[in-house]
Amino acid sequence: MARLLNRLTTQPTHFTLALKIALLSGMVAFSTASFADEPLKEGITPATDASQIPTAAKLRKETVVAGISEPQGIFNPYFFVNGWDENVTNVIFSRLIDWDSHGKLVPGLAESWTISPDNKVYTIKLRPNLTFSDGSPLTAEDVAFTLTVLYDPKYDGDTDITLANIAGGAEYKAGKAESVSGLKVIDAQTLQVTTSQPGATTLAKIGGPVLSKAYYGKGYQRGNLDYLRTLHGKPLGNGPYIYDKYIPGQEIRFHANTHFYRGTPPTPRFIYRVTNPSTNFQLFQTGETDYDAFTSRPDDIEQLKMLGFANINLYGSSDYSKVEFNVHRPALQDAKVRQALIYGLDRQKLIDVVYQGYGKVAIEPIAPISWAYNADGVNPYKYDPAQAKKLLDEAGWKPGPDGIRVKDGKRLELTLLVSKKVLNDALIPIAKENWQQIGVLLKPQVVDFNALMSQRKAGNYDLASFSTSTLNDPHDGVWDYYSTEAKESGYNNPQVDKLINEGNAELDTEKRKPIYHQLYKVLADDPPVILLGYREILSASSARVTGFKPDIYNGLTGSLPDVKIVK
Amino acid sequence: MGNFILRRRLQTVPMLLLASLIIFMLFAKTPGDFIDGNITLTAARAAELKAIYGLDQPLFTRYLHWLGQLLRGDLGFSLQYQIPVSQLLNQYIWNSFLLASVALVFYWGIGLAVGIASALKPNSLFDHVVSVVVFAAMSFPTFFLCLLLIKWFAVDLHWLPVGGMTNTGSDESGWAWVMQVAAHLALPVLALVMLQAGSLTRYFRASMLDVVKMDFIRTARAKGLRERTVIFKHALRNALLPIITLLGFELPGLFSGAIITEKVFNWPGAGHIHIDSLAARDYPVLMGFTLFLAVLTIVGNLIADVLYAWADPRIRVR
Repeated sequence: MARLLNRLTTQPTHFTLALKIALLSGMVAFSTASFADEPLKEGITPATDASQIPTAAKLRKETVVAGISEPQGIFNPYFFVNGWDENVTNVIFSRLIDWDSHGKLVPGLAESWTISPDNKVYTIKLRPNLTFSDGSPLTAEDVAFTLTVLYDPKYDGDTDITLANIAGGAEYKAGKAESVSGLKVIDAQTLQVTTSQPGATTLAKIGGPVLSKAYYGKGYQRGNLDYLRTLHGKPLGNGPYIYDKYIPGQEIRFHANTHFYRGTPPTPRFIYRVTNPSTNFQLFQTGETDYDAFTSRPDDIEQLKMLGFANINLYGSSDYSKVEFNVHRPALQDAKVRQALIYGLDRQKLIDVVYQGYGKVAIEPIAPISWAYNADGVNPYKYDPAQAKKLLDEAGWKPGPDGIRVKDGKRLELTLLVSKKVLNDALIPIAKENWQQIGVLLKPQVVDFNALMSQRKAGNYDLASFSTSTLNDPHDGVWDYYSTEAKESGYNNPQVDKLINEGNAELDTEKRKPIYHQLYKVLADDPPVILLGYREILSASSARVTGFKPDIYNGLTGSLPDVKIVK
Repeated sequence: MGNFILRRRLQTVPMLLLASLIIFMLFAKTPGDFIDGNITLTAARAAELKAIYGLDQPLFTRYLHWLGQLLRGDLGFSLQYQIPVSQLLNQYIWNSFLLASVALVFYWGIGLAVGIASALKPNSLFDHVVSVVVFAAMSFPTFFLCLLLIKWFAVDLHWLPVGGMTNTGSDESGWAWVMQVAAHLALPVLALVMLQAGSLTRYFRASMLDVVKMDFIRTARAKGLRERTVIFKHALRNALLPIITLLGFELPGLFSGAIITEKVFNWPGAGHIHIDSLAARDYPVLMGFTLFLAVLTIVGNLIADVLYAWADPRIRVR
């Protein structure tokens, strides 16, 4: 019986939902007070008292342990399904080209690269004497092999290489060519990649992790990738650490790679231990982990501070949350109605309630940490119910007898698709109340994420709330609004299309900046979505180790080559 | 008896077929599929992937394909773990089985002991104290109880580990390994026993007290048998009859994992893969695992029936 109850409590019930809403409205009242006392600054707040380091941690002389949520055991950088496995592959595999902490591309395994004046031909030069962790050489052949596999018709991983538009890729995929003609190995250290059209994200797509042709390519034939699956649990890479062992549901072990191109990492062993948000603090507190991510709530931060031995890292995420308009709906075709809905929503209150000081209201589809972020002259849509009412009046929606606006006999009723998460728990009551005041009736529908996406695809919605995934390039933040990609929402603005194309065709960061700035202004005037917020990410490391400098583009794995145990 | 078992076994075949159909339809009709949840995909790429996974096929074709696989003893291939479903389940269900069976031994033991003690001396002080303790434990919310146990025994007292199944990075084997696992088992088992013992204790107690009131017990006592013999030989066997059915139903639960308890204690059990697979719409895992549980339920029922028939010959005659 108790087991049955367990199952029930994992499902949201009307009661728990009502309770949450009640709690949240309580939080609205208190939120201003709770983060008034010195919020944590972005960056690293060092530990105050290293003597508090737990004994269990001190006993581990050569091993650093970091928490991870749900690895699934697919340790191949091009085949994993969830981001946790990506965290694992990042330890084992290095990228050709890395990101710096602002999302700019910097050399990795590739020493340098040149791009032809028409932005279509990339010549990538590898560092000399690169090897895989087994000592075998890493050459341009391996890079070409890696990219070829991504064009295989049976390739079912997450990387969509077709967006890189490598010449001859489509022919190879369709079986019309024996190899991808755009990939040319000049010599062991140089690869030339020819693309059919310029693309800002192309270099990052080409510059990913490298698979060993000798190891992963043994027996490769076009259209047959099944054999690769047997290697998912036996990765061979070239990253800072070498994979040792995976114990499902418990831990993943690594040891330092003496062949690592930046030199052997100072810590001999590294372990990912499976933790979860309900007990990861206790595991960190008792010294069973040296590093873990936590929610950026004032309570959690206070607890971490009280431990004394925690170096607290706070950094901005690169995703953003949004409510998408279904522009197919007659009422939402009018930009004035969409603008009114943004003016009429107190997003500052929403962000304060949800992130309690550790999040910002979003005003453009890129996070502030990116080089492309520039809020100058972009309409911030400050909460202004009067302006919202004025816009609705102008659009012809007049208040009906019960206060809900009516036009041509139709009431302004909107459905909102949401999945269960903290942001949405707060969004529903706030949006409902705010919009009621300007004469819009909101009908929320809580479904799970896949159901939300499927209903959205079927067009069964007026508004849909979801967040983007982590965005590395400003193009990733806007491609969704391109008319041919926005089939679900029906958003179509030729000027937006033009600017997205321009931004994607230009590869020089300085020249891209004004294009995106212009694009963000246009998107604000003809909004495809209500931008909600950017969040901040909190992690902590024990004072026992130094060198953790996480940021959203590199995560903790970017620091691994420098992580040291303090003697 | 052999005839009875054979007949009961034949009845399970249509039941399994029906179960497979219901399970398939239930999951296939849930809105959203494995690809839908990935928002980074362009429409063209999503269509390509659906074709690779066969998700673009009509429902009936997909069901027949799945059924064909099942008949060959193949549970399919997990989309999100990229390994055969049977291999995936094998990684996790034995841990759940270990945790659940150790807990089961304890709470059945407690249930039986309390039931017998109550029958011996109903409404005694012991009876009352046990009832209060057991009900108090049962009324905690699972999540809260687990966290409380962690706070007391792991964080404050440092007696037991916070979670997991073995020490991080440990390469122990043999006895040392057993001791480690036992230490990690202690808290989750304690939590499960506290949560489960209550209802069972109440059930056993009621069952024993019912039997003790019956005429044949009075007859046994009148014959001058010792109280011990009356309770353990005559009353207990009869009180166990309804409980056998209950035991049959425990079988699927041993493998399915106590979701919240396993999650809080980071126990590498099967509970969370069920939840994850549902969130990710990993149909092969969902269907394979649910079907496995359906089979266990049917088998559990079968075992209960056979035990029942063994304990009460009247059933076999029908």
